[in-house]
Amino acid sequence: MIAIEQLRYVRLGTNDPVAAADFAKRILGLEQIDVDDDQVLFRSDYRDFTLAFVKDTSRAQSVGFELRDVETLERAADALGRHGYDTSPGSTEAVARRKVKCLLAFKDESGVLIELVVRPLHSGWRYFPARDAGVTGLEAVALRSPCIARSEALWTTVLDGKVSDWIGDATFIRFDSAHHRLALHPAPTGGVLAVEFGVEGIDQLMQSSYFLQENQVRIVHGPGRRPTSGQMFLTFAGPDGVLFSYVAEGQPIVEEQHRPRQFRRQPRSFCAWGSRSEIPEFKCDDSADAIQGKRS
Amino acid sequence: MIKLGNICYVRLGTRDLESATRFATDILGLELSEWSKRARHFKSDMREHTLCYFDGDPGIQIAGFEVASKDDLTSAAGELERLGHHVHIGTREEADARMVREFLGFNDPTGNPIELAWRPAIGGNRYHGTRDAGITGFSHVGLCSTDVVRDEAFWTQVCNTRVSDRIGDAALLRIDEVHHSIALFPTSRAGIQHINHQVESGDDIMRSLHLLHERRINITFGPGRHPSSSAKFLYFEGPDRMVFEYSSGVRLIADELLYRERQFLFDPKGFCQWGAKPQIKEFE
Repeated sequence: MIAIEQLRYVRLGTNDPVAAADFAKRILGLEQIDVDDDQVLFRSDYRDFTLAFVKDTSRAQSVGFELRDVETLERAADALGRHGYDTSPGSTEAVARRKVKCLLAFKDESGVLIELVVRPLHSGWRYFPARDAGVTGLEAVALRSPCIARSEALWTTVLDGKVSDWIGDATFIRFDSAHHRLALHPAPTGGVLAVEFGVEGIDQLMQSSYFLQENQVRIVHGPGRRPTSGQMFLTFAGPDGVLFSYVAEGQPIVEEQHRPRQFRRQPRSFCAWGSRSEIPEFKCDDSADAIQGKRS
Repeated sequence: MIKLGNICYVRLGTRDLESATRFATDILGLELSEWSKRARHFKSDMREHTLCYFDGDPGIQIAGFEVASKDDLTSAAGELERLGHHVHIGTREEADARMVREFLGFNDPTGNPIELAWRPAIGGNRYHGTRDAGITGFSHVGLCSTDVVRDEAFWTQVCNTRVSDRIGDAALLRIDEVHHSIALFPTSRAGIQHINHQVESGDDIMRSLHLLHERRINITFGPGRHPSSSAKFLYFEGPDRMVFEYSSGVRLIADELLYRERQFLFDPKGFCQWGAKPQIKEFE
């Protein structure tokens, strides 16, 4: 099995990098560190960048995961090849744009390009955003997957992710003590559903909730609390149909004590406070809804 | 000096006891502790009752405070009469209706009916709400004040409250270590401005937020956090447009000697550090 060191970055293709960058700075509260004609990079913590908006009319999306060293990367190429995934090493230019030493890319079932990288750049300088959103770092990414079983197998048998919980067939996968770094949601088409940034606490989350309302950003879910991870969350619409979330608190997984739990696919499994979601991927069928109505 | 103990009950007149009862149980989450044709008593903690709706003028809104001894009650009566307040000594029947041994009633300088009660009843059974609102108890009231300087002087000099903070001229007054048990808000009328119940956690506040939304209850302020008391809060409207508040995490002032009251801006920022805007007349 290939060990994933950490979730590292999300690169989102956009027609309008200027508008996307404005969103990332002014609304999301990230620090813009690099900008050129093709891409804008944003810092959210001590890593050089965790979010990139890339000028791309096809709106291609990729998610970067860090591997320990080049040997692991080579083993990953082998293992993925054996399981039928088409991998391609990154060109010199691609490697430079991502500020990494080595790169191996492949498409998973979600249609999102997964980039395995070695020695991504770290920044010694503290993250200092324009807006005080209290962001602590890139926390997780949620993907849509048209073939959830195969997605789960990729992340838990080829790569060394572990399932933390399921809501219906939606799968939450961890690589470290955080409840999940990757969430897979069943959907007819693939893609990045949401990018999640941690914030310091409830004060920052709620301050952002009012800030977003005032700035007419569409809040699609929350503020709420996830019964699965225990995280508070606030999810809102970003550029190009990608959602962004702030998350806070949450219980870390104690490896020896945790067993993945199956939650029923119903609104209460997505939010313990009873907030309603506008996210199509979280829509529950009417019968589950009716049961909930009866209970509350 | 009148020695107030805990705030112990609120009595509210209403023309529609049934609706008020439904609100108090199904929405607010209190437990009906005594039912009679003309009054309903509700429990929010170990006390036998902390809220009573009675058949009467909705303009009648009474706040009751506990006193520790019969002597305290007698000396309070003397002190109030000396200051020119009319004092009503409760009859046995009136005391029974309040589940207290003895009490007296008077009006504060604004004209808010206040009662001092000796030996209010504690229940043998713990509170078990009609819904799981997470209520831990009735905690404070906001009182209307037509002259906050005069009323602050009354509550801090004639009575034993201390100023914990001020939001503009609105004084937050403590009796014990809880940041405030009374809050005085400048306005043009007499009456109870809001009624607060504490809940266990921020989760309870947010769960109630979504429940109140679904039940079409008018949420007038919040969810938010007070920079003064540090409590998370949610304000909403009950029967006869009375404002109710849930809050959690109120600051305790343990060191009387070191604590200094602070001046906050009378502005949404002085009321909420999350950015919520109040739709409550006395907060605007």
